[in-house]
Amino acid sequence: MLEIKKISKDFGGVKAVNNCSFKVEPNTITALIGPNGAGKSTLFNLISSVIKSDTGKIFFDKKDITNLPPEKVSNAGISRLFQKARLFENLTVEDNLLLALDHTDTKFWFNLFCKTPKQTDKIQKVEKMLDMLGMKKTKNMFAKDLSYGQKRLIELGRTILNPHSFLMLDEPVAGVTPELRDKIANILIELKNQGETILLIEHDMNFTLGIADRVIVLDQGSVLIEGTPKQIKNNKQVLKAYLGE
Amino acid sequence: MLSAYIIHLLILIGIYLILCLSLQLALGYTGLLNLGHIAFYAIGAYTSALLTLSGVPFIVSFLMAGIVSALFGYLLAFSTNKLKGDYLALATLGFTFVIYAIALNWTDLTNGALGLAGIPKPDLGILQIKSNAFYLFFVSITAVFSYLIINKIVKSPFGKVLEAIRDDELAVRILGKNTFKIKNYSLAVSAFFAGIAGSLYAHYITFIDPSSFGFMQIIPILSIVIIGGIASLRGTVLATFVLVLLPEPLRFIGFPSSVVGPVRQIIYALMLLLILMYRPKGFYGKVSLE
Amino acid sequence: MSIFIQLLLNGLIAGAIYALVAAGFSLIYSTNKFIHFAHGVVVTFAAYFLYLMFAVLGINFCLSVIFTIICAGLLGWIINEFVYKTMRKRKASSVILLIASVALLILLESLILLFFGPSVKTINFLEGGIGVNIFGAMITSLQIVIIFIAIILFFGLWLFMKKTILGKAMRAVSNNKDVAEIVGISSKQIYAWSFIVGSSIAGIAGVLISMEQNLDPVMGTNLIIKGFTGSIIGGIGSVPGAIIGAFLLGLVEVLGIWFLPSGYKDAIAFIVLFMFLIFRPQGIFGKKDFSGKII
Repeated sequence: MLEIKKISKDFGGVKAVNNCSFKVEPNTITALIGPNGAGKSTLFNLISSVIKSDTGKIFFDKKDITNLPPEKVSNAGISRLFQKARLFENLTVEDNLLLALDHTDTKFWFNLFCKTPKQTDKIQKVEKMLDMLGMKKTKNMFAKDLSYGQKRLIELGRTILNPHSFLMLDEPVAGVTPELRDKIANILIELKNQGETILLIEHDMNFTLGIADRVIVLDQGSVLIEGTPKQIKNNKQVLKAYLGE
Repeated sequence: MLSAYIIHLLILIGIYLILCLSLQLALGYTGLLNLGHIAFYAIGAYTSALLTLSGVPFIVSFLMAGIVSALFGYLLAFSTNKLKGDYLALATLGFTFVIYAIALNWTDLTNGALGLAGIPKPDLGILQIKSNAFYLFFVSITAVFSYLIINKIVKSPFGKVLEAIRDDELAVRILGKNTFKIKNYSLAVSAFFAGIAGSLYAHYITFIDPSSFGFMQIIPILSIVIIGGIASLRGTVLATFVLVLLPEPLRFIGFPSSVVGPVRQIIYALMLLLILMYRPKGFYGKVSLE
Repeated sequence: MSIFIQLLLNGLIAGAIYALVAAGFSLIYSTNKFIHFAHGVVVTFAAYFLYLMFAVLGINFCLSVIFTIICAGLLGWIINEFVYKTMRKRKASSVILLIASVALLILLESLILLFFGPSVKTINFLEGGIGVNIFGAMITSLQIVIIFIAIILFFGLWLFMKKTILGKAMRAVSNNKDVAEIVGISSKQIYAWSFIVGSSIAGIAGVLISMEQNLDPVMGTNLIIKGFTGSIIGGIGSVPGAIIGAFLLGLVEVLGIWFLPSGYKDAIAFIVLFMFLIFRPQGIFGKKDFSGKII
């Protein structure tokens, strides 16, 4: 589904991602793990084209998406959650989610001349999502008034609502309560059962190894090893990478 | 006598209202810190004046003023698409100076520092607007119409996208929306109304020269938009009335115009400074300038 | 040929004046990290202050100059202390600080306009009439003095940044404020000192400009645009870069007048600024991974 071929990114002499290659198979949950500075978030930024790669190619559904503008990557079917909260703070939760649904809202003349289109079906979708997240009460709250955990959940909802065939989640459970963590784990497993493909970065090992089908370990910008959670768990190389020499 | 003065003030308020509401769309709703708004005002004024002076009917010149300004707005947005925050502010500020330099130096077209005189009062075919009272009526209709359109834009889903861009442009792009295109529209619409306001000004005063469109003129408009409150049309309307009227008593006290001019700027600049220091949300704004 | 040399010389003189503005502006930017647009009006203030002291009150010229420079530094300190500091406490972003500085610029310009009137003023201290002939080009002795003082000043500034404790502290804050604070440098104090030193340089610029040109209340806007453009050309935040950039701008402007009517001289700076902002915001000498306002 997603194929990374020998991608590299250099930040002023520091090789953040170095000749990195791997594949993500459809209908799996694949986890990217590795010590701090291994290049996980940089890799995410390269895939969603927030930063441009120096060399290498990224293919999605056999299409070359390397260094396309971020919106084109998104429209190719990749939806992404950022590591830091990026809700639209001055919009309501409902508006935040509505924005993700489709692009009729970007049509200027349509929005100017047509009577505000009935959004009932869209609002239903949003309400269903809020229901799934257990956040119905927050519908009309401004995003800036939510707690951190609530923001993460709404953002996850927004990422899922954004039309996609592939989800990329950067630390979806960092800094949330254990109850919320289990809830998110259930949501992700449910999504996979519906046929979704997910790539995620997560530091929480119990969470990651619990839900992932495949694990890719990054170290110093390239793939150290990949395999099933079981294989990774007892691997000496992985331990060494985490603990240092 | 007094009623003539009040009509004059109301006409000015109407023109400022259109100018400030349109800046609010770009600055408050889209987060584009456009310090070049005066340039669009100038382009509208000159376009309309030049067209009418060469015999084009008023209503056509009036609309062309908006369209030509919008075109410039689109081009400016297009070329500065990648710039953000203070860099965008300076690039747009530069635009004001370039337009000013052209108005001053392209004498064949603009008559340079001498300006364009004898701009006719509007002639709408069936009716000719000769009296100021009637002009006020025309300005009011235009202002209300501008308010309704801008209000419609910001309340529509498109307006939510604009606000989302203001809050976090990258996140909007990650949702698959082409923010460059959207920002171009926003600035073009903003420039359209500024151009219309310029046309209204030119045909009211019947004389324009570059000095009416200097960089300093951005200060009253910016003050109104920020004091009224970011992303609040109601606040903008209120602030326009209050701030345009505020320096008027200076005239009654009998200061010469060489004093009134600078004092007016001092009042606006000081108010802007104080609001930025102590209440950056403005009076009606819910959104804090980031 | 002699026309070319004359233009080159004119460009150099204009460049020296821009560089004097750019140096102070860039010094303030390097530590404070926002665009202090009101820097231009500090120059105007200094020029008018000198006019007041020397031409109106008739005080000894050297004394007036020293007093002017001190007062310019003081004005910079006041601006920082009473405006920017309050705003920084509210965690105002660089954009807000920029708007505030534009408001300050207009405020102070209008005050100067109110007190001194719109008519241009002149200070006749050195009659620059007698020219020196260099390869067929004319340069007045005053202009030679300006270039000479500018060069000494830049050398002094360089020594100050390299050798003094304060200069080193400024560079530390400029590089990384947080690390500097860990080492025990108070960034608040350094902000204030940058304003004092930068504005004093603006004072010197004001003195030199007032001898070369007529004074007019809005000249500061023009000067800060030139100074800012010079800084962008050389890479914003680097003082030597800003100085070189300002000289380049002076030359480009003068050469541009060959192709455009002279009224467009100020517009040329903007076109250059525009080009740099869009195509090379890090400037000629800036590092490539410029992490400014661009995604």
